[in-house]
Amino acid sequence: MSELQEYLEDVMNAIIEGDADWAREACTEALEKGVDPLQILNNGLMAGADVVGQKFEIGEFFLPQLMLTGRALKAAMAVIEPRLQSIYAENEDLKGDTGVVVMATVKTDIHDIGKNIVASMLTASGFTVHDLGVDVPIKSIIAKAQEVDANIIGCSALLTTSMPFMRDLVNLLEAMGERARFKVMVGGASVTPEFAEKIGADGTAPNAVKAVQLAQQLIRNQRAEKEAGT
Amino acid sequence: MILNYLDITDRANNGPYISEENWDLEKIAMTTMELVSKYKLEWNPEEIVTDDPGLADTIFEAGLELARRVGAYSRSTERIIEFEPGELEEGIRRMPQTLIMGEGKDARTLYARKIMDERLPLVWAGNPGAPHPEELFLPSVMSWAQEPIVDMITCGTLVEVDGREVRTEDPIEIVSTRRELQYMRQALKRVGRPGMGMLAAQSSVSELGDLAVAHPDYLRTCDSHLVPMLNELKMDHRNIARAVNSLEYGMRNASLPCVIVGGLGGDAPGSAVVNVASFLVSNLTCISDYHLCHPIHMRHVATSTRSVLWVESIVEQAFARNAPCIIVSDIYPKSGAMTRELLYETAANAIVITVSGGHLEGCGSADGNLPNGTGLEARFMGEVGHAVARQGLDLQEANGMVLKLLEKYEHVFDQSGGNPGVRFDEAYDLVSLRPLPAWQQMYEEVKAEVRELGLVTLE
Repeated sequence: MSELQEYLEDVMNAIIEGDADWAREACTEALEKGVDPLQILNNGLMAGADVVGQKFEIGEFFLPQLMLTGRALKAAMAVIEPRLQSIYAENEDLKGDTGVVVMATVKTDIHDIGKNIVASMLTASGFTVHDLGVDVPIKSIIAKAQEVDANIIGCSALLTTSMPFMRDLVNLLEAMGERARFKVMVGGASVTPEFAEKIGADGTAPNAVKAVQLAQQLIRNQRAEKEAGT
Repeated sequence: MILNYLDITDRANNGPYISEENWDLEKIAMTTMELVSKYKLEWNPEEIVTDDPGLADTIFEAGLELARRVGAYSRSTERIIEFEPGELEEGIRRMPQTLIMGEGKDARTLYARKIMDERLPLVWAGNPGAPHPEELFLPSVMSWAQEPIVDMITCGTLVEVDGREVRTEDPIEIVSTRRELQYMRQALKRVGRPGMGMLAAQSSVSELGDLAVAHPDYLRTCDSHLVPMLNELKMDHRNIARAVNSLEYGMRNASLPCVIVGGLGGDAPGSAVVNVASFLVSNLTCISDYHLCHPIHMRHVATSTRSVLWVESIVEQAFARNAPCIIVSDIYPKSGAMTRELLYETAANAIVITVSGGHLEGCGSADGNLPNGTGLEARFMGEVGHAVARQGLDLQEANGMVLKLLEKYEHVFDQSGGNPGVRFDEAYDLVSLRPLPAWQQMYEEVKAEVRELGLVTLE
């Protein structure tokens, strides 16, 4: 194994173990040794997160491991983020199919486990996620999306009686003339593709893995729309 | 010492601060992981109904240790509700051993069941939480209230009233929950069982509806309502208000911790530990008269998955051996009306619950996510439970039967979109309130199959 691979494997293992201190140290060391930050991101952090995601999907890992990995990723990203930003500033194409997501469980609903899993998986896939928590008024969600210039707003509701607030969010975006600026993903146990379509959202997904794929697709769509000038 | 419930609210307002993330990860997940390792807790997916008294006792001990070490969490104030030594034990001593539900000739007595208890489990029919359009609500409830085997009833959730969408925290929750209770009482009168006990006030997520129906015209003191705990070991002001409201009014409190198997407790053994701790804590935070056992699967939701069945069984056995109390167990199958799998799932769940020491509640068909439940599967749930008790099925026999049933339905967990079946009105004749012939025939065929599996007393 080459020295480069050893550094990347160290980063990956720290993520799989969900050890934030180890992840921070491994990233710092890799950067100091001159490893390309994009390699650390793609072949260390994301590779590790991918392993954790797969183990979670097949029931070998459980929620605590996913949460610990989320923490480790956050710690690692704090180390490499400044270097990544400089690289992206020179060449935005290197960002890949990622972007900024504002997520929240909508007003009146306090269920967040599904939303947290999606947030962790999006982070693990290179998205910058602003998780506003639970019971969040739609105005606050939109205000945050405007503030951080988000690509996607992701909102979640488990309760059927909280789902109408997702429609309110889409309607308010329309009323504010901001609908075209953000893609809107909706999720939750009772949310169906028919519901998403009915309220005018851009999509929903049945699980966290598919939610990441949807977010990537929405980023591609958004980019294509911008290029086409629509 | 906790002298009255205001001591709990004091602690929720003044206990030590901790962020919710740290509560989840450091208090619940880490402590549970440590206890699973310390007590060497494992499960075997081929042994759903465990015949291992030592394991049940150890799960109980680990759950008690978790409750003692972490306490509960107030999500509203971000503070820990701590318990002093002896308080949880006092909560155990206070747990009712019998509870009369309903009134008059329709009253039934819930009791703390034993493992392999030959007394019949009580049958609590309905699909709490399942969203219903208003026009389907009354006939759905009547479809199970009319079943002679049913002892008490519950119901789904009204998602609209008079064509208006019900929204959480909106004043319409008051209307929807009162409307729900009007339909429930009407259903009982129309089937000639006006005194039957109910678990209701399902049409309001906030405390508004619960407060609005604490009145003899709606929810009587011989009925019950939910006092939920949030995942995991959490309360909030909404749910504390539900408990406070019943202090003077006196209706029964059903604690409802829906422990997520595969969630913060990790795999099945850790989730069982969290479930035990939740019941123990809820004695104090929810002032429980009885407990609703409703673990849910992290991905599949249903209570008929192997790991959830295992948790239901071991938790009931743990309490039956160490702290007898009234446990009513929910049956939430993956499948919906007019599918054979719904009946297989119901049978497996009913066998596990009855033999392990619980009473039966259900069915929340189609994951309780759709109005796809009927009185027929509630009847089947009761028939299977009664047969298990009558036959004196032992734990090992029950396990063998459940494994055979799993072979018949486990494929539904791999089906994208689940196995929702059809709506109530596509499975029942709404005029006669009888199952459509195809649904009736499916029920009779599956019943014969279950009888052949060894449940010979299934009538």
